[in-house]
Amino acid sequence: MTDITVGLMLTDNLPSIIGIILGGICIAVGVHFVPVGGAPAAMAQATGIGTGTVQLAAGSGLTGLLAAGYMYMTLSTLPSGVIVEPGISQIILICATGAVGAMIMISVTMLVGNWVYIYGVGVPPASAKKDYDPITGDSQAPYVAAGTVGQGMPTVCFVSGAMGGFLGGLGGSLIYCMLMWVNGDPAISSIFAIGVFLVNAVLPSYNIQGTIEGFHDPKFKRVPKAILACFIASLLCGIIAVMIPGAAMIGGA
Amino acid sequence: MGMGLVALMGAAATVAGCSEDLESDIGSQSNPNSQVQLAAQVGYPHRIFNKAISGEPPSNAMYCAVGAGVAMVLIQSMSASPLLAIAVGAFVAALLNGVFSTTSYMGRNASQTRFNQYVYLDVLRNHILGIMGHAYITTFCIVGLSYVMWNQDLINHPFPFPVIAMIWGLAVGAIGSSTGDVHYGAEREFQDFKFGAGLNAADSGNITRYAEAGIRSSMDNAWFCSKFGGPATGIAFGMVVFLDNWRSTAFSGWISVAVGTAIVILLILYNRQIEIYARKKYGPYPEYSGDIEA
Repeated sequence: MTDITVGLMLTDNLPSIIGIILGGICIAVGVHFVPVGGAPAAMAQATGIGTGTVQLAAGSGLTGLLAAGYMYMTLSTLPSGVIVEPGISQIILICATGAVGAMIMISVTMLVGNWVYIYGVGVPPASAKKDYDPITGDSQAPYVAAGTVGQGMPTVCFVSGAMGGFLGGLGGSLIYCMLMWVNGDPAISSIFAIGVFLVNAVLPSYNIQGTIEGFHDPKFKRVPKAILACFIASLLCGIIAVMIPGAAMIGGA
Repeated sequence: MGMGLVALMGAAATVAGCSEDLESDIGSQSNPNSQVQLAAQVGYPHRIFNKAISGEPPSNAMYCAVGAGVAMVLIQSMSASPLLAIAVGAFVAALLNGVFSTTSYMGRNASQTRFNQYVYLDVLRNHILGIMGHAYITTFCIVGLSYVMWNQDLINHPFPFPVIAMIWGLAVGAIGSSTGDVHYGAEREFQDFKFGAGLNAADSGNITRYAEAGIRSSMDNAWFCSKFGGPATGIAFGMVVFLDNWRSTAFSGWISVAVGTAIVILLILYNRQIEIYARKKYGPYPEYSGDIEA
C-alpha cells in the first residue's frame, strides 16, 4: 500500500476518525462520573460501587454496545432486505439506544448494590466527600461509619453513575457506528470498538487512582487531563482502526 | 423476537448471575480477596479458598468467550446440536476455570508460608469441584442466551457469537463484583463485628475464621451468600438482560429510548426511597462527633 493510498484512506475517513475521537472523549469523561469504590467499597469502607473503574465502565458501556449494534442492523436493513448506510439522524438514534442501554445496566447495578448495603450489611448510603448531598441536601457525615470513607450509593452518586453510563454507552456506540462507516463489518467493528473503549476506559483510571464518587468528587477536576490523554489515544486508535480494517475491506495490506 | 424469548433470556441471566456470584464467593475472587490475602499477613491464617485469577469481569468474559467459541466450532463445523455444543463449550470453560483456580490457590498460599498460611490439599479438593460446577452453570446460561441473540432464526444479532458471550460475561462479572460480593466482603467475612457497624479500616484482615461448627470453609460462605448476595446478583443481571431486551422488543426507535430513560428515572426514584428508609431505620452513627446535624 503506497503512501498516497494511506493518505487518501485517512482523508476519506476523516469524519470517522473525528467520531472515534469524540466517542473516546465521551468514554473518558463518563468514567469520571461513575462512582467507583474499588476494593474498599466491597467491604463497605468507601462510597461507590465495589469494583474497578475499567471493569464497571466496560461492563455498562459494552452492554450498551450490544443494544446499539442491534439497532444499527435494524436501521440499516430496509424492508426489502437491501442494506444501506445509516445517516446522521439514525446514528443519533443508535447512540441514544446504546447510551440508554448502558444507563439501565449501571442503574440496576447501583440499585441492587444498595439493596445489599442496606439490607445485607445494614449500613445507610453516605458520601464522605461532601457534608451534604448536593442533590437532596441530606447530611452525610453523621451516617458515615467510623474508620471508613463512606458506603453505598447516595442519590448524588446514583445520578452521577447514570450520567457516566450514558456517556460511556454513547461513546462506545458512536465508535461502533464510525467503524461501521469505515468497513461495514459488524464483527470487525465490534471487536475494534471494544478495544478502543477499553483504551479510553483505562487511561482515565490513572486520574481516578482507585476510587471516585462522581461529579462532586474533587478528583473530577482532573477531567481535562483525561480528555487530552484520550484525545491523543483516540486519534491513534482512529488512524489504526481506519487503516487496518479499512485496508482489509479494500483488499490491500 | 417474542416476549417469551425475552423472558427466557432473563431467566437464564438470573441463574447465571446467582451462580457467578456464588462461584466467586467460594473462591474468594475479586475485591473481598484482598481481605483473605491480607488475613494471614496480619496474623490470622485460615482455611478459606484463595483465588485471585483476575477481576471477575475479565475472567468471566474469558470463560464465556471460550465456551461460545467451542460451541460455535461444534455447531458450524460438526453440525452438532446447539444444546450439546453449548454444554460442551461450558464444560471446556469450567475446565479452564479449574486450572486457573488450582494454580491460583497453590501459588497464593505457597507464597504465604512465612505467615503460617499453608497449602491445604483437602481445601483444594473439597472446593475445586464446587467452583467449577458454578462456573459451568454460569457459562452454560450465558452462552445459551448469547446463542439466542446470535441465532439467525431468533434475534439475529450482528455481532459474532463469542463476542456477544464475552460482553455478557463482562457484564455479569461487573454486576457480581458490584452487588453480591459486597454481601460476602462486607458481611460474611466480618461476621464477628456488630451488624451495621461498618468495617473500620483498622480491622482489615481480621476475617471471621470460625464457623457455626468448627473452622469456617468457603463452602460455608457460599451457603450464607446463597441466601441473599447470590440471588440479588441474579436479580440484577436478570433485570439488565430483561429490561434492555424488553424495551427493544416491545417498542422501537425513539420510543424504546424514551422507555429506557423512564426506567432509569424510576430506578433513581426507587433508590431515593430506600436511601430514606435506611437513614430512618438505622439513624446516624453514635460515634460521630462532628457538628453536622443528622
